[in-house]
Amino acid sequence: MNEILLVEDNPDDVELTLRAFRKSNIANEIVVARDGLEALDYLFCTGMHSGRTPSLPQVMLLDLKMPRVDGLHVLERVRAHPRTRLLPVVILTSSIEEQDLLNTYSRGANSYIRKPVDFQEFVDAVRQLGLYWLLLNQPPPSTPNP
Amino acid sequence: MRTIIHAITAVGLLVVVSLARIAYQTAPGYTASAALVSLVLLASSHLLMMSEIARREHTERALHDANRELESFSYSVSHDLRAPLRSIDGFSQALVEDVGEGLPPEARGHLDRIRHATRRMGRLIDDLMALSKVGRAEMTRERVDLSDVAEQVVAELRRQQPARQIAVTIAPGLQATADPPLVRLALQNLIENAWKFTSRRDGSLIEVGQTRDARGAPAFYVRDNGAGFDPEYAHKLFGPFQRLHAVSEFPGTGIGLATVQRIVHRHGGQVWAEGKTNSGACFFFTLG
Repeated sequence: MNEILLVEDNPDDVELTLRAFRKSNIANEIVVARDGLEALDYLFCTGMHSGRTPSLPQVMLLDLKMPRVDGLHVLERVRAHPRTRLLPVVILTSSIEEQDLLNTYSRGANSYIRKPVDFQEFVDAVRQLGLYWLLLNQPPPSTPNP
Repeated sequence: MRTIIHAITAVGLLVVVSLARIAYQTAPGYTASAALVSLVLLASSHLLMMSEIARREHTERALHDANRELESFSYSVSHDLRAPLRSIDGFSQALVEDVGEGLPPEARGHLDRIRHATRRMGRLIDDLMALSKVGRAEMTRERVDLSDVAEQVVAELRRQQPARQIAVTIAPGLQATADPPLVRLALQNLIENAWKFTSRRDGSLIEVGQTRDARGAPAFYVRDNGAGFDPEYAHKLFGPFQRLHAVSEFPGTGIGLATVQRIVHRHGGQVWAEGKTNSGACFFFTLG
């Protein structure tokens, strides 16, 4: 059972997302990256994550507005690299700006979810998301490590 | 516009010159000075018009830019407001779940109020964002069958609330030239309002049809026999967040009619309402 990579800069949102996962009985390990740079370091085993055993998360939950490296740039980098280009990426954001939807889908996002204000709705969304991406969806075959 | 004015000036010039040529043969001295005066007048009116156009274009551009800036400002503000709201709602829910049992009923009541208020604010923000989107959306004009749109809206409402007994009459063949998604949103808001404000009476009626405005131009209308409104406050109906009824009576954020007005104005049309307290309301709109 591979991990879930949660890329989110808002500590409150991290806490609430982790809580929602716990409440949905999703047992996968959840790795938190606090901005795009940390996410890229994790995926490509560089910087603060150099030396880690390379593995790909089962799914990456990606926020868009983040300091240093934003979500769109992470998505571009992930899709450009042969090892990560098939990684399932779910955009998890509070924006429904048309431009954000267009930009992320056209760069190969697999799904786009808007965080609801109502926490109960958020828990429901996370439960469905976990069910779909961790159980129902067949992941792409793993590609050779770099 | 500039080309037209250039052309008119050129024609004027030709006319003056050719008239002057004919007149010159009879009274050379007089014609020369008259022609000169005409030329000067023609040239100065030309220059004045061109500078006036430039000035107006500049103002129009500035206005357009300011408007866009305001729209995108309101969008990003509402967007950023959602994040703290999620925290407030999420953590108060966490409190209820984790220690709710041990809390005195009054404290639980307070937490409920917090959550209720955050959800309401969330809806307000969403509606505000939708309103700002209406202002920014690109517009195209096509033939739209409003009867068809109205039927779809009503079908969706009947699906959501199958228990409501409402007699809906939609005049067939209501044709408009308008932006399809925007005019749909406008009609949806009006019909949903009629649906909502008839919810507290038996024998609810909604009618969608066409009439003519004071100048004889085609106007569409949505009429209901619901709660109506006090005509004294009719001017407030279309302002954002204006409500003429208590939220406890009829839920809502007060953004629907503001949205309708913005859509209608973007089409160059007018929207107005007639009604009386407890005697129903009728909303009219033209689409320019």
